Amino acid sequence: MNTIEPMAPVVRLDNVSKVFNSNEGGTIAVQAVTLEARRGELLLLLGPSGSGKTTLLALAAGLLKPTSGRVLLFGKKIESYSAAKLQDLRANRVGFIFQTFLLIESLTVSENVEVVLRFTRKSKHEARRRAGSLLKLFHIEHLAQKFPLSLSQGEKQRVAIARAIANGAGLILADEPTGSLESKQGFDIIRLLHDYAKFEQGCVIVASHDLRLVDCADRVVRMEDGKLSAVCG
Amino acid sequence: METYAIRTLRSQPLRLVLTIGGVALCVVLMFFLLAVYRGVADGSVEYIRQNTTDFWVLQRNVTNILRGSSLVSLTCRETILRIPGVESASPVLLLLTTIRKGSRVRTVFLTGFDPEKGRGGPPKILEGRTVRRDDEIVLDHAFARKFKFRVGESVDLQGRSLKVVGISTGTNAFVIQYAFVTLALAQKIVGFPGIVSGFMVSAETKNQLGKVASRIQEALPGLAVYDYATFLENNIQEMKSGFLPLLYTVAAIGAVVLTVILSLLLSVNILERRKDYAILKTLGSPKGFLRRIIVVQALLISSAASLVGILVFFPLVSLIEKLSPEISTKSTPGQILGVVAAVACMSLISSSISIQKLRRIYLLEVFR
Repeated sequence: MNTIEPMAPVVRLDNVSKVFNSNEGGTIAVQAVTLEARRGELLLLLGPSGSGKTTLLALAAGLLKPTSGRVLLFGKKIESYSAAKLQDLRANRVGFIFQTFLLIESLTVSENVEVVLRFTRKSKHEARRRAGSLLKLFHIEHLAQKFPLSLSQGEKQRVAIARAIANGAGLILADEPTGSLESKQGFDIIRLLHDYAKFEQGCVIVASHDLRLVDCADRVVRMEDGKLSAVCG
Repeated sequence: METYAIRTLRSQPLRLVLTIGGVALCVVLMFFLLAVYRGVADGSVEYIRQNTTDFWVLQRNVTNILRGSSLVSLTCRETILRIPGVESASPVLLLLTTIRKGSRVRTVFLTGFDPEKGRGGPPKILEGRTVRRDDEIVLDHAFARKFKFRVGESVDLQGRSLKVVGISTGTNAFVIQYAFVTLALAQKIVGFPGIVSGFMVSAETKNQLGKVASRIQEALPGLAVYDYATFLENNIQEMKSGFLPLLYTVAAIGAVVLTVILSLLLSVNILERRKDYAILKTLGSPKGFLRRIIVVQALLISSAASLVGILVFFPLVSLIEKLSPEISTKSTPGQILGVVAAVACMSLISSSISIQKLRRIYLLEVFR
C-alpha cells in the first residue's frame, strides 16, 4: 500500500538522469540531478531553453521515468506507484501550469476549473461551487461563463492557476508560467504562486528563463545542459 | 463531460451534419430492408393465408407454391372427394406466364381456379369483380399500377384477348404478382386439360383433420398433404430462405458502413482535439472519463441519426411505393426499436474502436 510520509520532501530527485534515445543517438536531457522541494516553498528552476527544465518537471510529476537515479514523489519512489495511482495523484495532489495556459477552449472558464474537480469524483454541484469560489479568489468570477479565447493572457493564466490548485494540490509544477505575459502580469502570477506556497503550505516548482523572477523565489536552482549549475537560497 | 462532448461535435457543424446524414442513411437502409422483408414475408404468402382451407394437396416433394412446381392429374380430385370426411377439393393451376399490352410484355404468376367455388381465387378485390368467364382476368393492384392496367381494358395472354374485370390485393409476391383466370383457361394455356397444380381440400368437420389427411395420403401416395398452417409456414420459409441472406448481407454492409463512418468521425475528433485529451490526461483524468466523452459523442450521433432516419423513412417509403408499387413494405414499432437498438450497439462498437486512439496520446505532448 502506498502511504505517503507527511514530513518527507514533496519531490526528491537523487542523481537522476534522463536520456532520450533516437535514431541519431542519445540526447542527455537531465544529467545526475539531485534536488528536493519541500512544502511552503517556491523553487525556481532557472535556465535557458533546452537546459532540461521541462524534462525535470516531467520527471518530478512522474510523467517521465528516469533513465537512472531515483525520483521520490510525496515520499515514495515513483516506480512504486501504479499507473492508476499516478493518475490519481495527478488529479488530487499535483497541479500544472503551462506557458501557453492550455485551457480547454470549448469549455467555459468555470468548466475548465470544474473539469479537474470532477476527476476527483466531486459532484457537479460541488465542482461548480468550488470553481466559483476559486474564480472569486482570483478576482475573475465575472469571467466564469466566458470561453478562453475571449480572455486576455493574464486572465487565462489566472484561470490556469485556479485549475491547478482546485483540488488543493500539494505540488504545483509551472512551466514558464510568465512566458506569455507582460512583466507586471508575470510578477502578479508569481506572487500568487508564492502566496499559495506560503499560506497553503504547497510546494511550487517554477521552470523559467526569466531572471526577474529570482527575487520572488524562496530558492533558485540554475540549470544548464541538463545539469544543476548552482543552487541559491 | 457531456458539455465537452457536445461542444466538440458542434464545433464542426458541417462535419457533424454530414456524419449524422451518413449514419441516418444507413439507418434508413436498415429500416427499409426490414420493412421490405416484412412486406415480402407477409405479402408473398397473403394469397395462401387468405385462401383458408384445411389441406393443400400437391405433387410429392413439392413443399410450397412460391418456388415449387407441382403437376397433378385432375382425376385425383374424384379420389379425394370419395375419401370419408372430405367436403370439397378445389383445383388450382399455377404457372408463370406473360401478359402483353401493346408492345409491353410482363410476367405474372397466373392462377387458374374454379370461379363457381371461389376457392383459390383473388383473396380480396379492390376494384371491379372476380372472373366469371374464360375471357376475363383479375390483376394484382401493384402490377396494374406499375404497368398502368385498368379495369375494362383488354390484355393479351398467350395470344388470347382477356378483359381486365378486377384488381386484387394481397397478391403481390414482390418479385412476381398473381393474376387470376378460370381453371379452364389456365389449362388451355398449359396445353394439358387434365393437369392442375394441386387441390385445396376442406374437411367436413375440424375435429378429425389428422385422420382425413392420413386417408388422403393413403389413397394418393404420390401426392403430399399439408395442413394449412404447415403449408403457410413452408411458403414463408421459402421466401425467407430466398430473401433473407440477401437482406442480411445488405443490412450487414449498412451496419459496417455506419460503424466506419462513426469511427472515422470520432477518430478525427480525437486527433483534432489531441491537445485537449493530452491536457486532461496530464491533469489526472481517469481513463473512464475520457472514454465516456467518446461514448457520449457516439451515442449522441447515433440518436440524432436514428431520429433523422425515422423522420425520413416514412415519407421515403411512400415515395418508393408510389414509384414502384410492387415493393410492398411493412414496418412495426418493434422493427423500428430493433434498428435503433442495433444502431446504438454499433455506435458503442465505433466508440470502442476510436477509444484506442486515446492510448496513443502521451502525457508529455502538453509540453510541446
